[in-house]
Amino acid sequence: MSMESTRSDKSAKRSFNNNRNSASSNSNSNPSNKKKKTSQKTLGVAWGSNSRSSSRSSFSNSPFSNFGSYMVEKNRKLQNQFEAEASTSSHGGSGSVKPIFDGVSIFVDGFTVPSSQELRGYMLKHGGRFENYFSRRRVTHIICSNLPDSKIKNLRSFSRGLPVVKPAWILESVAVNKLLSWVPFQLDQLANNQPKLSSFFTLKRSSVSNSASTHAPCQVNPEAEDSSLKVGTSGDTYFSEVSEPFEHRKQISRESDDLVNENSNASLVEETAGSSGKPCEVAMGIPSNIDAEDESSVKNDLQSSHYQPTALVSSNCINNQNMKGSPSSMVSEPSNQSHSTLGDPNFVENYFKNSRLHFIGTWRNRYRKRFHSLSNGFNCTSSNIKASPLKTAIMHVDMDCFFVSVVIRNHPELLDKPVAVCHSDNTKGTAEISSANYPARDYGIKAGMFVRNAKALCPHLVIFPYNFEAYEEVADQFYNVLHKHGNKVQAVSCDEAFLDVTDSEGDPQLLASKIRKEIFETTRCTASVGIAGNMLMARLATRTAKPDGQCYIPPERVDDYLSQLPIKALPGIGHVLEEKLKKQNVWTCGQLRMISKDSLQKDFGLKTGEMLWNYSRGVDNRLVGLIQESKSVGAEVNWGVRFKDLKDAQNFLSNLCKEVSLRLQGCGVEGRTFTLKIKKRRKDAEEPIKYMGHGDCENLSHSTTVPVATDDVEVLQRITKQLFGSFHLDVKEIRGVGLQVSRLESTENSKQGLERNSLKSWLASASARTEELCKNSHVAKESSNRGCEGEGDETLGQLCGNSVGLSIQMDSNTSNGAACLNEVSVLPPLCHLDMGVLKSLPPELFSELNEIYGGKLVDLIAKNKGKTENINHTLSAYSHEKIEGAMKEGQAARLSSMVFQNEIPVENKAEQHIAKEVLAVSGAESFVPASGLKKTDLIPSSLSQVDTSVLQQLPEELKVDILEHLPAHRMQVFSPNVLLDPTEIPLEALGTKTAENNSGSKDFVLDNNLWVGIPPQWVDKFKVSNCLILNILAEMYYKSGSTGNLSPILQRISSVSLHQLDAFQDGWDEAMYILCELLKQYIKLKIELDIEEIYVCFRLLRRFAMKSELFIQVYNIVSPYLQALVGENYGGNLHMSLKD
Amino acid sequence: MAGETARILVEFLEVAITSIVFLKGVYPSGAFERRRYMNLVVQRAHHPQIRDYIHYAVFGLLPFIQKGMVERAVVIFFNTDGIPVERFVFKLAVNLSYGSKVEEADLEFSLRSFLIKLSVSESLTKVLPRDYRWEITAYFRSLPEASANKDVEQWIPTDTRQWEQPPLLIPIKSMSSEPLCVHLYIEHPSLSEPKPQSGEV
Repeated sequence: MSMESTRSDKSAKRSFNNNRNSASSNSNSNPSNKKKKTSQKTLGVAWGSNSRSSSRSSFSNSPFSNFGSYMVEKNRKLQNQFEAEASTSSHGGSGSVKPIFDGVSIFVDGFTVPSSQELRGYMLKHGGRFENYFSRRRVTHIICSNLPDSKIKNLRSFSRGLPVVKPAWILESVAVNKLLSWVPFQLDQLANNQPKLSSFFTLKRSSVSNSASTHAPCQVNPEAEDSSLKVGTSGDTYFSEVSEPFEHRKQISRESDDLVNENSNASLVEETAGSSGKPCEVAMGIPSNIDAEDESSVKNDLQSSHYQPTALVSSNCINNQNMKGSPSSMVSEPSNQSHSTLGDPNFVENYFKNSRLHFIGTWRNRYRKRFHSLSNGFNCTSSNIKASPLKTAIMHVDMDCFFVSVVIRNHPELLDKPVAVCHSDNTKGTAEISSANYPARDYGIKAGMFVRNAKALCPHLVIFPYNFEAYEEVADQFYNVLHKHGNKVQAVSCDEAFLDVTDSEGDPQLLASKIRKEIFETTRCTASVGIAGNMLMARLATRTAKPDGQCYIPPERVDDYLSQLPIKALPGIGHVLEEKLKKQNVWTCGQLRMISKDSLQKDFGLKTGEMLWNYSRGVDNRLVGLIQESKSVGAEVNWGVRFKDLKDAQNFLSNLCKEVSLRLQGCGVEGRTFTLKIKKRRKDAEEPIKYMGHGDCENLSHSTTVPVATDDVEVLQRITKQLFGSFHLDVKEIRGVGLQVSRLESTENSKQGLERNSLKSWLASASARTEELCKNSHVAKESSNRGCEGEGDETLGQLCGNSVGLSIQMDSNTSNGAACLNEVSVLPPLCHLDMGVLKSLPPELFSELNEIYGGKLVDLIAKNKGKTENINHTLSAYSHEKIEGAMKEGQAARLSSMVFQNEIPVENKAEQHIAKEVLAVSGAESFVPASGLKKTDLIPSSLSQVDTSVLQQLPEELKVDILEHLPAHRMQVFSPNVLLDPTEIPLEALGTKTAENNSGSKDFVLDNNLWVGIPPQWVDKFKVSNCLILNILAEMYYKSGSTGNLSPILQRISSVSLHQLDAFQDGWDEAMYILCELLKQYIKLKIELDIEEIYVCFRLLRRFAMKSELFIQVYNIVSPYLQALVGENYGGNLHMSLKD
Repeated sequence: MAGETARILVEFLEVAITSIVFLKGVYPSGAFERRRYMNLVVQRAHHPQIRDYIHYAVFGLLPFIQKGMVERAVVIFFNTDGIPVERFVFKLAVNLSYGSKVEEADLEFSLRSFLIKLSVSESLTKVLPRDYRWEITAYFRSLPEASANKDVEQWIPTDTRQWEQPPLLIPIKSMSSEPLCVHLYIEHPSLSEPKPQSGEV
């Protein structure tokens, strides 16, 4: 049979060819083809021959002596046919211009879109060659859309080192009438062949062939209308048997342009900017790797945009020796840069040069430096804010679509046109829009959208690159205006700030219009202002005010305003929280107000619950203050990271260290803890949609702490190298690297010794939580009656995490745990103050402390007695201010010593024990040593008793210490997680709470939206369910590739032993109920769209039903429903008999 | 836009129906020849009458598909009494108001999967009795006005009988994308359907 089909196949081809062949005069004008013909000697034993081995015998009777000679003959004939056809179908006329595919010879493997015949047609038409049978000698490119695993695994033997390219390469080349570089069109499956970092930044050799000069006009025209015209040239040599190299000009694909842009390999961008006389720069390098067939090297980058003309020249050298000998002369200009080795030494630097996030992130330092004096002046007044309980007026000023407005302020004609800012305007690219103006937003364009999607929505969208200088300039102008009008300015971002205008005279609204007018006059960009009694409401008001407007929300209107406000609008409510609330049928703040604070705190945790309760009432106790001190400094690169070997990676790391070191120095801090974060490609992860993105990754991190803070590059590099080594990773799997330095101390103070380190890092972390403290103080007030009974019986059975979020919940297994020190505020309660220490304080310190304690200190001293009142109230009210004060730059050090001086002695006692430390932290330490209780009692018997959220907020040392004191086996389970990935812990550790969640599960299925969202809602629900089968379903959702279809999930489940599932009895009914609901909703969703999918699902279900009781019931319940719906839509019943 | 989609759909139907006829072995395999369609090897009727019947039948549907009037196109295999034994149903839904450009390649990709699935679906089908016939029947959402278009006249009422019971469905393939939604499923008589033989006796 196979013979038969083979033959008919051939005959079909032959006749097909003959048909077209009629008019051919076999005049082959292509010299290279002739050369090739002579080069055919060994043929035949290609793939084709393998599959035909069975038919070999059938040729014994034929005129051919053997199969080999038959193939020789056949190939010759095919070639003749092809050439004959080519001569008739190729473009006549322009004889001087080389056809696009000159020298390209493709072999099409398997199914392709378009079909191999169409591809053959293109090759015919454009001077290429098409091989019916594979031969390493004649074929230059293998074209295929898909490869079986076996071929992927053994790619080299399959491709013989030839490029394996998608058919799109041919199509696009034809479309632009130029031979493009095949590199971006490499088969997606060849993950390892994906372009790597090294290839982008390695400059091997520049080769601009003469023929490239035909494109010179576009290269030297930086004023071209096309805002980002990129032309690349690359050489691709093919070393044929007769040593005739072919030089191809290629225009590098758009994707590859994109890539270079995104990679921020923009040193060239900078260099060429403004140098219109020299629009094309070509870099020159040395080939790093002779066997670099699969690599491309992006040489240079020509991009003519409105502002930055640059050049992009990509060269792909298969064999550099050949290149040298190639007849076409090469133009190679020495470049300004000399890249000597693998990897662009400037990669990290360049990456961040073009990063908007980086701009925003580092802008603060700049701001701080610039407005240092101003903010200091403000600092001094901040403590008085509380003292004046006037009607406050807070103003929130926000520039309207800052990143766009700044760029187009010089283009008034674009004012009402859709404009977006993005680092690349490649219409097919996966670069993300970073900001869009209002006309563009009307088209549905949003930040974060891929350019290609945005262009699809709005084809005439104008895209500009970033202009960081302009941003800086405008941000400075913006803040100049703000500081002119008020000394209480809190910078939120480069384009957004809060002003406290309580003290200002006149109507805040008038002031607002004045400010807006001034901003517009100085920056030519508009700003919107929201005015209200606190920061929250001011910010919400701005929302209403936008664009280019202002809005005042007087206190009496707050309730009205909020009642209809969607919860999403509140700051702090993200997707997750929103979804949770919506499940409780809370859509607006008004509805949110109905829920009691207790239940909010129960559902969402103390802090969040408190926040929700407050915000929904328009309560916001935050004060307009300073920019918060950063807790860590770091740099992370998650885009374009592909390493070829360890050397690449090391190189990259060392550059990353340089960057981080520079940033540390920029901030004037040094750090002690170094965390290296690695994104590692998941095993089954496919190539990300976003080109060169990181895709689906595992996040790994290791950290280490050194005794002396540092910002030294070499130390950083050494530490990083060690950390990196501890990962034991295959560098090829790495998709992102980040280095973070924490436990910072300012450079000036770093010499003051180690002891201070802990205190300072402590303060830093505490100050960063000022906001938290605000709320906590609130809590503290409420429970102050329990706060400190001060019996002197300090059992401390429980140290609740409320006060600073720093204490640890402990097992109260002490017998005399009658008195609970429940709420410990930042300042030690009076009863805990050590009289000796107090008395020996310097007078000024004492008076300040006294002030803080509301004058009670004097009384205390006088009475010399530890009796306490319910003073937590006052304490916590002030504690916030205190900490805020601690934040102040100039005062931080002084204050820290002040606050903690009375505690230091205790620390100096060097009590190793954790209990001691925890207590020291909570400021209650003075009496503890005296209490003489058994310290071990304080340690939870296992980590499961520790509130992990609290644990995470502890400083590193404490955390480690606590973990050390826990039973060893526990630690193994937990410590890596605790230290590495704080976000995951609550999920796991709080697993016990899931039982509660389940009680609500009946509510959610009624919602009818189990299949809404990505992943569908049921996945999350099921994940936390206590029913095994539901857990499995959720798990399979991810394993099956998260497609949103049920059948792949069920297919996966069929591999699980279903008998076991029946073993559980708990929640049987519930599981059944939920499953039925899930299926019903699915049927409803799919019945009209995809009956096939439903059919597959139910056949699988029926199969399950044969094994599992549960599924029998589910099947029996849902089946009638299904059949009814099918009948409704298709007029029949699904055929579900058990026979097949 | 709708015109382009409809044209692709009709072309596809022609190939798919030929495939069904080939699959059921109505004619000896010599009556077909191998051709490439959508980059797939498919069968094409060699005999001009078969070819023309299929061709004109489906292309006769074109104007109605363009108007969105055709709900189903069915290939019915029936016995000498006109009682259907097996029906291959193409349930069609064309979004006429679909605005943006139809990507032919995308559509082809989906339609191709029908042809692939069809070629392996023989086991799902019934063995046909002797002396059966087949026809292409179209179900309209509303009856076209005969006077309005002479195309209508090409279509004659069918003699094929209906089943009395709702049939059993075996879905073969579904696609649902803008602007085209196609389901292919096989209909078999319900088990409780009175047997054709008993009806005769």
